[in-house]
Amino acid sequence: MKKIEAYIQPYKLDDVKDALIAAGVTGMSISEVRGHGRQKGHTETYRGSEYKVDLLPKVKLEVVVPAARAEQIIEVLATAARSGKIGDGKIFVSAIEGAIRIRNGDRGESVP
Amino acid sequence: MTNTLSLSGKLSRLRERLRTPEWRKYGQILLMGKLLGVGLVFLLAIFMHPDLIGFGAHAQAPAPDPVLKGNDIVNPINTVWTLVAAFLVFGMQVGFTMLEAGFCRSRETVNVLMECVVDTCLCGLLFYAWGFAFMFSHGNGFIGMNWFFLRGAPATYESTGVAFLAVWIFQFAFADTCSTITSGAMIGRTAWIGDLLYSFAVSGFIYPIIGHWAWGPDGFLAAMGQPGYFLPWVGTGFHDFAGSTVVHTIGGFIALAGAIVLGPRLGRKFKRDGGGPMMPHDLTIAASGGLLLWFGWYGFNPGSTLSAMDFVGIGRVAANTTLAACAAGLTAMFYAYMRSNTWDVSYTVNGFLAGLVAITCPCYWVTPTGAIALGGIAGVIVVMGVELLEYLRIDDPIGAVPVHGICGIWGTLSLGLFAAGQFGSTGPFAPDNTMPLAGLFYGGGFTVLKAQAIGSAMITISTFAFAMVVMLIVNAMGLLRISPEGENHGLDLHEHGISAYPEYVISAMGRPGGMPAEQAAAQFSATAPLPQIGFSQKTTS
Repeated sequence: MKKIEAYIQPYKLDDVKDALIAAGVTGMSISEVRGHGRQKGHTETYRGSEYKVDLLPKVKLEVVVPAARAEQIIEVLATAARSGKIGDGKIFVSAIEGAIRIRNGDRGESVP
Repeated sequence: MTNTLSLSGKLSRLRERLRTPEWRKYGQILLMGKLLGVGLVFLLAIFMHPDLIGFGAHAQAPAPDPVLKGNDIVNPINTVWTLVAAFLVFGMQVGFTMLEAGFCRSRETVNVLMECVVDTCLCGLLFYAWGFAFMFSHGNGFIGMNWFFLRGAPATYESTGVAFLAVWIFQFAFADTCSTITSGAMIGRTAWIGDLLYSFAVSGFIYPIIGHWAWGPDGFLAAMGQPGYFLPWVGTGFHDFAGSTVVHTIGGFIALAGAIVLGPRLGRKFKRDGGGPMMPHDLTIAASGGLLLWFGWYGFNPGSTLSAMDFVGIGRVAANTTLAACAAGLTAMFYAYMRSNTWDVSYTVNGFLAGLVAITCPCYWVTPTGAIALGGIAGVIVVMGVELLEYLRIDDPIGAVPVHGICGIWGTLSLGLFAAGQFGSTGPFAPDNTMPLAGLFYGGGFTVLKAQAIGSAMITISTFAFAMVVMLIVNAMGLLRISPEGENHGLDLHEHGISAYPEYVISAMGRPGGMPAEQAAAQFSATAPLPQIGFSQKTTS
């Protein structure tokens, strides 16, 4: 099993969610995070003074998928989340050692 | 055609027919015909029997006009007007609460709410006990000495004819406004007991006593300029129709004294040191609060005639109030854009508030054009004032000092420029325009301007001096400023045991130190609501 962590633009959430569900992903987790990449944010002006917005709001999306499907899901996700501009975000992939369904104790590949 | 349908059958047939355009046309023709018929009968009746609906000549002589006495109509209508205005001014408390809460951080919001509510309650009781007595009773030029606890008061106030207690509540609402302004620059680091103490001093002593000088029946600034009184060479008294100086400048400069003695909030870096103002936490509430204040100002200014009989006056005052606010909002927005290249909401809201503060003194005596001019200037002044305070390293979270203090002075002085030379004084039966006030731009020379400058300077300096004394005393007792730990975790949790948004927003420190783990868990572990894309932060403990 692979865990796919994607940091995406908040306004892309609906598109990505729909695309993943259409691709057959059975579950996902969303959290609101703040962060920045190489640009380190930007400056704004409030009440005449500049302030740094160096932690921008993003959405972190986590899905766990069977290893065989990982590449395909990543492709779907990236296509849905892409706008071509700075700030689109990043996807990280890691290996999952095990999975348990809490309701009935199932284990293994069928869980995610 | 035999009619064998039941009633319900007929009704359903009617419903069906109403749906078809052909039957609807028949229905309309039917109705038109009936209306025509009724109309014809009506006309016939009029021509044949004119008396039927009173068109005929009256046989008897008309009743004589009733002789009106003050108590019959004038005093009641003036009292109702005063009361309605008082309620509107009290409504400004909601506006202030929302404005202050919106511009401060979420960690100090509950403290702002408490402060606004409690200072209202405190002000009411103090104004009853001796505040109104100091301010509006006879005594000497500095202070009133009658009507303590409102005892021995007449049924109506002085020559206004308005019910005494109605005038009391009207003036209480003004006192409440002043005492709420003072808290504006002291948000986020004032200890609760210190809050109570300085509110006591403001509502009980500073506002009523200094206000007496301008508004008391024998106040020395009001009586100024006449032979035998203070500075007879000035030629005219100090005029402040609804309180640019008495309410707003006094409030603003007490706020300034407080902000100076307190020092800035922890972590506040000023623009000249590379920082800037702290972020507001709810601009929706702040802007809406500002508009509520504008709404309440329609009681503040026009109500100060204490007379609905001066109906031309109240109309003019209301219009002037509106136009000054409109002009100021726009000039503030444009000037702020020139300075910072941003269409800034905080400057715009403070802009129209500044216009309202500025028009508060001259509203009775200027024309709408004058109101626009002086309001427009106030909008620019307030932006400059905010920048000045930032430069002086004074932390004023909502701009109370520039809006109320500085633009209060401008409004007061502007009377000396823009008084139109047409309007004199208001009155319970009618206005008295036999001795109109004329400012510099209307051929009145410097007389009014001198009186305004003297009055404004004396009140501003005395207020600031007394306020500094009070603040320094409370500070010396260690009661003015909250401890650094309390301030970092937030005034709300420290003084009031709860944050403003226990379910949604946790202050940036996460679980606050000093709270037992069980209590923190109970307060912060509520099931999260649907995710909002925005600035809410949820930390897992």
